[in-house]
Amino acid sequence: MNAVEVNDLKKFFGKAPAVAGVDFYIAEREIFALIGPNGAGKSTTLRMLATILQPSEGRATIFGYDVQKESGQVRRLISYLPEEAGAYKTLTGRQYLSFMAELYADSLSQAKEYVAFASDITGLGPRLSDKIRTYSKGMTRKLLLARAVMTRPKLAILDEPTSGLDVINALEIRSIIRKLSREGMSVLLSSHNMLEIEFLSDRVGIIHQGRIYETGTAEALKAKYGARNLEEVFHKIVENS
Amino acid sequence: MRKFFVLVKKEVQELLTPQMLLPLLIIVVAFVFIGKVAGSEAAKTAEPQPVGILDLDHTNTSALVAQTLSKNNLKLTEFSEISPEEALQQAKNQDLKILFVIPAGFERGFSGKPLSLSIYTILKNFSFIGSRSTQSATVALAQINSALSRELIAEKAPQADPAVLQSPLRTEETVVIGSREAKISVSAVMGFISTQSTFIPIVLFLVITFASQLIALSMATEKENKTLETLLSAPVSRQAMVAAKLVGAGLVALLTAVVYLFGMRYYITGLTAGAGSGTTAASDAFNQLGLVFSAADYALLGLVLFFAILVALSISLILGAFAEDAKSVQGVTAPLMFLVLIPYFLTLFLDINSLSLGLKAFVYAIPFSHAFLAAPNILLKDYSAVFWGLGYMAVLVVIFIYIASRIFSSDKIMTLKLNFRRKR
Ligand SMILES: Nc1ncnc2c1ncn2[C@@H]1O[C@H](COP(=O)(O)OP(=O)(O)OP(=O)(O)O)[C@@H](O)[C@H]1O
Ligand SMILES: [Mg+2]
Repeated sequence: MNAVEVNDLKKFFGKAPAVAGVDFYIAEREIFALIGPNGAGKSTTLRMLATILQPSEGRATIFGYDVQKESGQVRRLISYLPEEAGAYKTLTGRQYLSFMAELYADSLSQAKEYVAFASDITGLGPRLSDKIRTYSKGMTRKLLLARAVMTRPKLAILDEPTSGLDVINALEIRSIIRKLSREGMSVLLSSHNMLEIEFLSDRVGIIHQGRIYETGTAEALKAKYGARNLEEVFHKIVENS
Repeated sequence: MRKFFVLVKKEVQELLTPQMLLPLLIIVVAFVFIGKVAGSEAAKTAEPQPVGILDLDHTNTSALVAQTLSKNNLKLTEFSEISPEEALQQAKNQDLKILFVIPAGFERGFSGKPLSLSIYTILKNFSFIGSRSTQSATVALAQINSALSRELIAEKAPQADPAVLQSPLRTEETVVIGSREAKISVSAVMGFISTQSTFIPIVLFLVITFASQLIALSMATEKENKTLETLLSAPVSRQAMVAAKLVGAGLVALLTAVVYLFGMRYYITGLTAGAGSGTTAASDAFNQLGLVFSAADYALLGLVLFFAILVALSISLILGAFAEDAKSVQGVTAPLMFLVLIPYFLTLFLDINSLSLGLKAFVYAIPFSHAFLAAPNILLKDYSAVFWGLGYMAVLVVIFIYIASRIFSSDKIMTLKLNFRRKR
């Protein structure tokens, strides 16, 4: 069974379509990346799959569960990292992790396990006992990312996961995502970083004005458009539309 | 269920910040302080008040005046052989409250024409407690009047009973409430009720407004700090999220209510200390009239308060969905504040039952009216009104919680503000 199947998915805000009918699938253990210009509809698509927004038309399933009708089951399988996320500023990093872990875990010991795993990923060490309001942007982002993957979800939906992170931290995060995917986690992510996408993703979808123009492996797309890198592919598609 | 408590704990942690606790603490300290000061001031006024008297008549009648004054908890300073102006100057210097001047020829007039007595009250402030210092003088004057009148009667109509001539009317007051009655003056009852019932509406008002601010704030910060999206993707039912917000804010509001009550008790007891609380005869009469809350009455009152808070919380949760940051909380909860203020003032000044039908319907349609009316209705044993109010609030709570969880279950919770903006 595919991790994700999306059929003619649409979302309107008022009359304007933010997503104008997209189709794609993600196989199990696959890392699929959505790339596209600002306002293309990436975040809106991800939000619909994360059960935050309700599709206006079309259908999407996650491991066979409908995101709209079976959102309860879907939420148990996924983990979502929003593009612009924050954490409760009055809590410490560790308190935040345990709060979120307890929402996902079936038992307290499992929650503890999640927190231990996440603390490791954050690399924050003793700073985890400090209030989140004292964290830098990158520290918060790492905390949130660790939170998103600590439950080892079947599908991780990551909206620009490494935005705001420095090179070293971004590299580290990418290798963690890679590793978890090999251990069985499917990933849907969006990014503006072409290097990141070439390194991470098994397949890419290029979205523009609410529609998917191309999907395929980075190699296949480069060959099709006679481009040296993904950036050129992206550029050609957007220019020609 | 466990996840629900995890959510409640987080709500409470989020709301109980130092920024929120500090003002609360300051208010309570201020209340206690004012209460303490007022208490000691009140105790001071209970001591004999210093007054002066200048007797320029030197007769038996003028001596009677001085005698009556000194019997009335007044510390008398006697001046002699000086002019009234000088006496006044000295009275000021000695910080006396009142100066009585008995002019020469006082007794000579004592044959039919009114006597003249000059009273100088030296006012240094207009406070409630300050004004009390002149009360014992007023009482003393009434006694002087009646003492002089007795003398006059004894002289002019020696065979009559001076007491009857002085006040030929004997009144016996009975207050009737419902099927109960007691021999007590109506002013005593009203005084008792007003000291009892100024307290409840203030606490009610504070708790309702505070609870709604809190829950709207928790929604707004959730949006402002961008934590809402993450929370909404978690495997927790949206009903549990709504319930956790209600319970979390309710608990914090309740805690602050208790703290306020504690502070206010100091404040009120401070103010009323020395004012002389009811005699046992009076409290027997209040019991006879059923003007005392029984344990069951308190439980009923608590239930009404609980539902009023629930109504406020569920409305504010909906309003809070429109707030996009902590700053806009005041704005979005403003309509609710009106709904609380209107019955607060109306019940304070008016008898709702005597309003015109339209106005009455308007007042009863506001759920919080029933909270403000509950205490008087319970005292008047009008329990059916209380239960109707409770039922009405319960229905509203169900409706509003339903709407709130619908908003939470749809993506309106994410998009409400945007639509709201476009409409403007
Ligand atoms: N809540 C909303 N209400 C109205 N319009 C919205 C809303 N959210 C998104 N849109 C619109 O939908 C379109 C797609 O937005 P989306 O956030 O999905 O873009 P994106 O591809 O993630 O862009 P970016 O790269 O800048 O993150 C935009 O035109 C945006 O204005
Ligand atoms: Mg986006």
